[in-house]
Amino acid sequence: MSNGISRRNVLSIAAGVGAASALAACGGSGGDAAAAVNTETPVTLRFTWWGSDARHKRTAQVIELFKSKYPNFTINGEFKDWNGYWDSLATTVAANDAPDIIQMDEMYLASYAERGALLDLGTASNHLKTADIESTALDTGKVDGKQYAIPTGLTAYSFVVNEDLIKQYNVTLPDTETWSWEDLRAVGDQISKASGGKVIGVQSWGFDTGSVNVWLRQQGASLYSPDGKVAAPPALLAGYWQYLLDLAKAGVSPQPSITIERAAAALDQSGMATNTTAIGTAWNTQLTSYQAASGQNLRLIKIPGESKVGTPGAYYKPSMYWSISSRSKHPAEAAVFVDFLLNSQEAGDVLLTDRGVPGNKTIRAALAPKLTATDKAAADYLDAIKVGPAPRVTPNGASGIEAILKRHSEEVLFERKTPQAAAESFIKELQTEIDAA
Amino acid sequence: MSALGELQRLGTSKGGPPRKRDNKAAFLFLLPWFAGLLLITAGPIVASLALSFTDYNLIQPPEFNGLDNINRMFSDERLHRSLGVTFIYVFVSVPLQLIAALGLAILLDRGLRGLAFYRSAFYLPSLLGSSVAIAVLWRQIFGAEGLLNQILGIFGIAGKGWISDPDTALSTLIVLNVWTFGAPMVIFLAGLRQIPVMYYEAASVDGASRWTQFRKITVPLLSPIIFFNLVLQIIHAFQSFTQAFVVSGGTGGPSDSTLFYTLYLYERGFSRFDMGYASALAWLLLIIIAGFTAINFWAAKRWVFYDD
Amino acid sequence: MTDLKERAVPIDTTGDPAPPRFVLPGWITSTVKHAALILFALVMLYPVIWMVVSSLRPNNEIFRSPGLVLDSLQVSNYSTGWNALAEPFGHYMLNSALVVLGCIVGNLVSCSMAAYAFARLEFSGKKWWFAIMLMTIMLPIHVLIVPQYIIFSNLGWVNTFLPLIVPKLLATDAFFVFLMVQFIRGLPRELDEAARIDGAGHPRIFLQVILPLMLPALATTTIFTFIWTWNDFFSQLIYLTDPQMYTVPVALRSFVDATVATSWGSMFAMSVVSLLPIFLAFLVGQRYLIKGIATTGIK
Repeated sequence: MSNGISRRNVLSIAAGVGAASALAACGGSGGDAAAAVNTETPVTLRFTWWGSDARHKRTAQVIELFKSKYPNFTINGEFKDWNGYWDSLATTVAANDAPDIIQMDEMYLASYAERGALLDLGTASNHLKTADIESTALDTGKVDGKQYAIPTGLTAYSFVVNEDLIKQYNVTLPDTETWSWEDLRAVGDQISKASGGKVIGVQSWGFDTGSVNVWLRQQGASLYSPDGKVAAPPALLAGYWQYLLDLAKAGVSPQPSITIERAAAALDQSGMATNTTAIGTAWNTQLTSYQAASGQNLRLIKIPGESKVGTPGAYYKPSMYWSISSRSKHPAEAAVFVDFLLNSQEAGDVLLTDRGVPGNKTIRAALAPKLTATDKAAADYLDAIKVGPAPRVTPNGASGIEAILKRHSEEVLFERKTPQAAAESFIKELQTEIDAA
Repeated sequence: MSALGELQRLGTSKGGPPRKRDNKAAFLFLLPWFAGLLLITAGPIVASLALSFTDYNLIQPPEFNGLDNINRMFSDERLHRSLGVTFIYVFVSVPLQLIAALGLAILLDRGLRGLAFYRSAFYLPSLLGSSVAIAVLWRQIFGAEGLLNQILGIFGIAGKGWISDPDTALSTLIVLNVWTFGAPMVIFLAGLRQIPVMYYEAASVDGASRWTQFRKITVPLLSPIIFFNLVLQIIHAFQSFTQAFVVSGGTGGPSDSTLFYTLYLYERGFSRFDMGYASALAWLLLIIIAGFTAINFWAAKRWVFYDD
Repeated sequence: MTDLKERAVPIDTTGDPAPPRFVLPGWITSTVKHAALILFALVMLYPVIWMVVSSLRPNNEIFRSPGLVLDSLQVSNYSTGWNALAEPFGHYMLNSALVVLGCIVGNLVSCSMAAYAFARLEFSGKKWWFAIMLMTIMLPIHVLIVPQYIIFSNLGWVNTFLPLIVPKLLATDAFFVFLMVQFIRGLPRELDEAARIDGAGHPRIFLQVILPLMLPALATTTIFTFIWTWNDFFSQLIYLTDPQMYTVPVALRSFVDATVATSWGSMFAMSVVSLLPIFLAFLVGQRYLIKGIATTGIK
C-alpha cells in the first residue's frame, strides 16, 4: 500500500503548488480610472477602515448620504480594529481580493504604494478633485512623485497640560510660547515634588515617531533623507534618549515600568487620562478624547524649544489617508466616492474632525462653528503653530519603526543600553529593514 | 521515527498476534480526514514550505532566494532571543499548568459539596484567556495600580508595573497561562470519569492510602490522558500567541522580554511584509515541535499504559 | 466484566498500607477545605469580577477608580453597547452561534470517525498518517492564512461561514482526533471483541459500543469547540469581511481603538454578555462529563 501513500502525497503537493502559483498570479490589473462613471447599472464597492465604534457610526452615515446621490452604488463598509485591519488588508491584497477604497496610514503608505498595490490617484483626476486641499497636505500623500493617497485630515504633535492639577499644586507654568526643554524639566520637577509623588510632572514619550521627528527637526536634522535612508545623526538621537532617561531618573517622569505600562495601554489608561500626570504629549486631535477621559481641564500647549530654533520641529502630519486599490475593478467609481468623502460639505459635516482636521480649506472653514470646544481648540492649534515642511513619508520597509523605537526607548529607560548605543543600534536596525524591502 | 513505533503497539500489545488489517474500513472512517487533508490542509502547508525559500512581501509575487532565509536565521539576534523566551515559557508554564489542572481535577472529581460551582469558577478564567479584554484585566492584577501592588502596599513594599518591567513581564504571562488551566482540567475530569469506581473501592478495602491509590490507580489509568495533555500543551505553548500579543500590545515588549516565537514570526510576516522569512521561521518551529513530540512519544513507552 | 487482574496495569495496592494517623473531625477538614477553595476561587475570579463591575461604571471612571466598589450603577452601558455597532449585538451573537453549531457538529462527527480508525483499526501506513495528522497542527496559522485564503477565495467562500465550518467537517482539528484516540484507547478491547463475536461490523461497534462509552470525550469536544470557536478571532476576522457577517470576537474588537477614547464600559458590558453563552455551555456540558463509564458501569 505504499503506492497509495505516494499517490496521495503527489496529489497534496499538487494542491500546494496550485496555491503557491496563485500567489504568483496576483499581478492582475484593475479597471480604467479615467473612464466615465457608471450611473446606470449596479456598482458594488468595498470600503475599509479601522477605528472605534464612534467612527463606524459616522462613516456609515456618510455612506448613506452618498447612496442617496448615487442610487446605483452599493458601498460595503468593512470596519476593523487597528491590528486586525492590517492583517486583513495584507491577506486580501496578497490574495488579489483587496477592498476598493482603503483607509491608509502614513507608516504603511510607501510599503503598499511602492509595491504597486495602490492606484495613482492622478489618473483619476477628472473624478477626484484636489483643488481645495492644501498643497502641503497633498504632498504628504505622494510617493515617488505620484499621488497615491490623499490625507483625510491633519494633526500636529503637541503638548497637553492639565490646568486643574497645575492649580491644585500651586505651580505656575512658564510662558509656553517661548518655553524650552529645560523649562519643561523644571516645571515637571516642581509638580512631582509638590504632589509628593501622587501626581508625576511629565508623562514620558519615546514611543511614537512624532516625538523623534520633532526633536531631530528642531536641531536641523531629519529622521529620513529625501531618498528614504535613515538620516538621523546618532548624537542627536542619543541626546533624545538621554533627556528621557534624565527625566525618569529625576522623578520628573514616572519610573520606567509605569511609563511603559501606560505607553502600551490605550489612551484612556494614560497618565493624562487618569489625572496622574500633569503634562504629556499628544496629537492635537486627541485632546477631545483625553478631556473626556480625564474630566478635568486640559489645554494644548506648544512643543518646548520651538521659539529657540531656526527650523520648527512642528509639522502637519496626515492623520490618515484615503487610497484606492490598484486592482479595483471600478477605480473611477471609487474615485467619485473618495471625492465625496473629501470635498462634499455634507460628508464633512458628519465626519467633523474624527479623521483629523480636514485638509480641505473650504470644509475646514465651514466646520468651525459646528465643533465642540475641544475640537475647536485642536483646530485652532493647527493655525497657531509655526510648521516646517512635512517629513518624508515613512520609507518602504520602515513600517515597523514605532516598534523598533519603542524597544530602544525601553532599553534606555531600563538602562540596558546607553543612549549612545541605543542610537547606533536603532539606526542600524531601521536601515537594515529599509534595505531589505 | 522510532518514537512513532510506539503506536504500532496498538496491534501487538499483550503479546498477541497482530490484528488483521482493515484498510477498507479504515479508509471509510478516515474519508473526511483524507478529504480535509487533500483539499484544505495540505495545500497551504506545502505552499508555506515552498515560500520558505523565497523573498515574499505579500504584495508582489514571491522570488526564489535559495537558502538565504536559512542563512539569515544564524545571525538573527531577535530570533535567538525569541527562542530563549519561548523555551523558558514552555518549560515553566506547561508543568505548572498541568500540575494545577491535575490537582484540581482530582480534588473536584467527586465527593465534595458544591463541585459544579468550583469547577465553573476555576474554568471561568479560561473563557477569558484570549479575549481582547485580557490585556486590561491583567493590568488590574499586575499593573502599577493593580491588585498585587495594593496587597504589597499593605506590607509597605513599593510596587512597580510588573507587566512592563522586562525582568518580570514573562513571569506574568506564565501566571496568565497557569491561570487558564481550565482546559486541561476539564480533560482530566473527563479522563477520571473513565476510571471505574470499583478499583478505588477495592483498594480502600485493602487499606491503601489516598496517595497509594493516586500512584497505583489514578496515574496509570489516567496516563493516556496525561500524555495527551502533555503533548498538546507543549505544542500549544510553543505556538502561544494571543495572550502575549494582547498583553504586550503586539510587540513582545518590554525590550523583547515576551517576544514569543510566533509573535516574532507574525511581526516579520505581517508588519514587515517579510512572509518568505516568516514561512521559514514557521518550518523551524515545526521541526522543533515535532522533535519534542517525538521525544514525548518515545518516552511514553515507559509510562503510558493503554488497555488495548 | 473486566477483572482487575486482567488489566494491562498491575494494580498492587497491598504495598504500603495506610499508617495509623490522627484524624481531625470531618467538619473541620471540610470547612478548611471549602474556605481554601473559596479564597482561591476569589483570587482566580478577581479579573472577571473587575470586568463585571467595570461594565457597570461610567466610561470615564473605569480607569480612574481602582478596586471593586461601585459608586453608581451605569446599566446604560449594556444598552449603548448592544446598539453601538452597525447591527445590534445580538446579530453578532447569532452569527457566532451559527458558526459554533456547524463546528460542533463537524468536530463530533468527523473527529470521532477518524479517531476510531486510528485507535481501533489496523491499516497501512497508520503511524505515518498519524504523524502527518499531528504535523498539521504544528504550523502557526499566520503562514498558512494567505494560501488558505486563496483556496477559499477561488471557491467563492470568502464572506460566508463555510471557510470556518467546512474544515471542521473534514476533521482538520487534529486536537480532537488525538483527544478521542486517547479516550478510545482507554476503553477495554474486550467490549469490541464481544460485539465482533456477536457479528457486529465496524460501523455498529463504533456507533453502539464506542460512542456511548466516550460520552465524556464527546462532551469535552463539544465544550471546547464551542468556547474556542466563540473566542477565535483571527480566521473569523480574515474570512468575514462584511459587517453583516461579523461574529462576536470581531465585533468586540471594533470597540477598541488605542488612539482615541474607547467606550470601555460598552466593551466590557458586551464582553460580559458574550461570556454568558459559553459559560452556560460549560455549565450544561460539565454535567455530561460526570456520566462516564464509572457511573454507567461496564456492560
